[in-house]
Amino acid sequence: MVGMHEEEPERSAASIVAFCRFARDNGLSIGVQQTLNAVEVAKTIGVGDRQELAFALRAVLTSSKEEWDRFTDLFEIFWSTSQRFSNPASEEGPEVRSRTHHPQASSRALLALSSNEASSSDREGNDVSGASAEQRLQKVDLSDVPHDDLAALERISFRLFRKMSLRLSRKRQIKNLADRVDIRRTIHRSIPRGGDAIDLVFRGKKLRKHRLVIFLDVSGSMNSYSLFLVRFAYALQKYFKSVNTFLFSTNVVEITDVLRNQDLPEALRKLSQRAAGWAGGTKIGESLKVFNQRHGRKLLSRNTVFIILSDGWDTGAPDALAAELGAIRRRAQKLIWLNPLLGLDDYAPITRGMSAALPYLSVFAAAHNLQSLLALERYL
Amino acid sequence: MMASQARSEDREINDVDTLIQRFEHLGYVTDRGLATAVYLVTKLQKPLLIEGHAGVGKTEVAKVLAAMLQTRLIRLQCYEGLDVNSAVYEWNYQKQLLAIKIEEKTDQTVEEKEKHIFGKEFLLERPLLQSILADDASPVLLIDEIDRADDAFEAFLLELLSDFQITVPELGTIKAKYVPYVILTSNRTRELSDALRRRCFYHWIDYPSFEKEMKIVRARLPVIEEELEVQVVRFVHAVRQLDLTKPPGVTETLDCAQAAMSLGKHRLDVKLVEETLGCVAKSQEDVAKLKAAGIEKMLS
Repeated sequence: MVGMHEEEPERSAASIVAFCRFARDNGLSIGVQQTLNAVEVAKTIGVGDRQELAFALRAVLTSSKEEWDRFTDLFEIFWSTSQRFSNPASEEGPEVRSRTHHPQASSRALLALSSNEASSSDREGNDVSGASAEQRLQKVDLSDVPHDDLAALERISFRLFRKMSLRLSRKRQIKNLADRVDIRRTIHRSIPRGGDAIDLVFRGKKLRKHRLVIFLDVSGSMNSYSLFLVRFAYALQKYFKSVNTFLFSTNVVEITDVLRNQDLPEALRKLSQRAAGWAGGTKIGESLKVFNQRHGRKLLSRNTVFIILSDGWDTGAPDALAAELGAIRRRAQKLIWLNPLLGLDDYAPITRGMSAALPYLSVFAAAHNLQSLLALERYL
Repeated sequence: MMASQARSEDREINDVDTLIQRFEHLGYVTDRGLATAVYLVTKLQKPLLIEGHAGVGKTEVAKVLAAMLQTRLIRLQCYEGLDVNSAVYEWNYQKQLLAIKIEEKTDQTVEEKEKHIFGKEFLLERPLLQSILADDASPVLLIDEIDRADDAFEAFLLELLSDFQITVPELGTIKAKYVPYVILTSNRTRELSDALRRRCFYHWIDYPSFEKEMKIVRARLPVIEEELEVQVVRFVHAVRQLDLTKPPGVTETLDCAQAAMSLGKHRLDVKLVEETLGCVAKSQEDVAKLKAAGIEKMLS
């Protein structure tokens, strides 16, 4: 163990704190309480045995399998060089940094959008373009929104999505009817009447929230559509028990944590960093396979609604796509495919991938403008 | 301070190595990582959240810990719809009704009657309350498969796990005299809230390595023949490489070995594996996949 052996207690506490900060900067969710715990644990275990310290800190500082998997590397990086030890927060290890490359072409649009949102959010309502413009914008194809209208469309979409989310949750509450007698409360109320249960108290039906999984195609042509569905996902988070969002092209990346951010412009900015380095083609089947392997067991259940947003131009094998969709269909409640091309008058789903997918879908709908996205409400 | 005093008696475990030995003595083979985490639980009185695939011995940790500390194991099995009434306490309604009827003729006031029927003798203690009420030593509280319970229950647990006290409206707040050692397990069928995770130490149990699994089998089935043991463990390891919906855990390894032993076999062959396929493959698809992959190949 470099540099830790003959330290005084304060010094080692300081380095534990520094390590906590380093780990937090690299994506582990460590709060003040965890840091305090880490210091306490280091005191209990002692800092002599490096391996044991690693195990102990891992138990304290991680809280999920993902963090667990990353921890050992972070620990090694932090304590492998004594130079870092003396000045740990000033630089990051090369391995960790590669994750946040500068954004590339495909994510530039995200960046642009987020800046739009940021600049326009504070003057909301002042320059609204009026009802007719709103109507027009709702129908315009998301891929050719004039640049000037982008900010307006942003605002409208955000408002409408939010309304929709609210409406959906109200619908749920009305359905929430009583079904069983609550013995506990009934008896409590019977005491003043000498033990005769005159007023029956009913137990309400449990509100069962649904889970939404969104699978977004971000390959070249889909980009402008995807961005609006990201917003859609963001707005729906309040209604669903959880919304898990994944981006895919030839690779799959989960962006759920980014969307959890309270501040949407900030979330989109982070997203633009995450989405860096996307390659051209789309392999839906393979991406779904990765999803099924890594997340399927956890996320798919009878109250999961699974939404795929893609144009169906798949360079992979149709059989593979069908098999994966079948697996999802069996476990999820609904499998919805939104295809922006369906908005075109002369489009028919005859690409090989798309026709292989059709038998497994519960809903196949368009998603080329705001109106079609809002129409989704029917299926949720 | 009373709690820590009483604890020092049953705790000769003052380092991780002792704990590993004691665990192994009780038939649980563990690695240093898990042992360190459990050691911290006994030292710092914080809950430990254990995640991992099905059948890798998550629940067993709590059982062995209780055996090691020679204390009570209180188990709460979570399920969807688990509510406070079945996890913490419930009033004995039948008895209450009877009591009301009996007291009808007496001239007690309503308040007196109410006080009587909400006394301790009418209280049914469920696992969580039991763990708080322990009056001789800290028990081990196992909250099994917490991912199956719903969010509301999870939120309730937060309060319990940070203060170790429970409020029963009719009786008041009950505080733990001896803080229980808490072990939570999860199969990751649902993501747990960050708030809960933050209150716990965390450990992920992976499938064991070949050597470790051999040790486990030997610890649990001491009479097994070496050749059969090697074969079974190797076979299960091969099966885990396949892309099954429910990969076999250590439990399945033990089942498989035990099945072979009780059939009086000394080595695994294709016929035997086919007959006892239910030990490792738990669904029709998995059976098909296993057969397609070639059992003979996996045995060699």
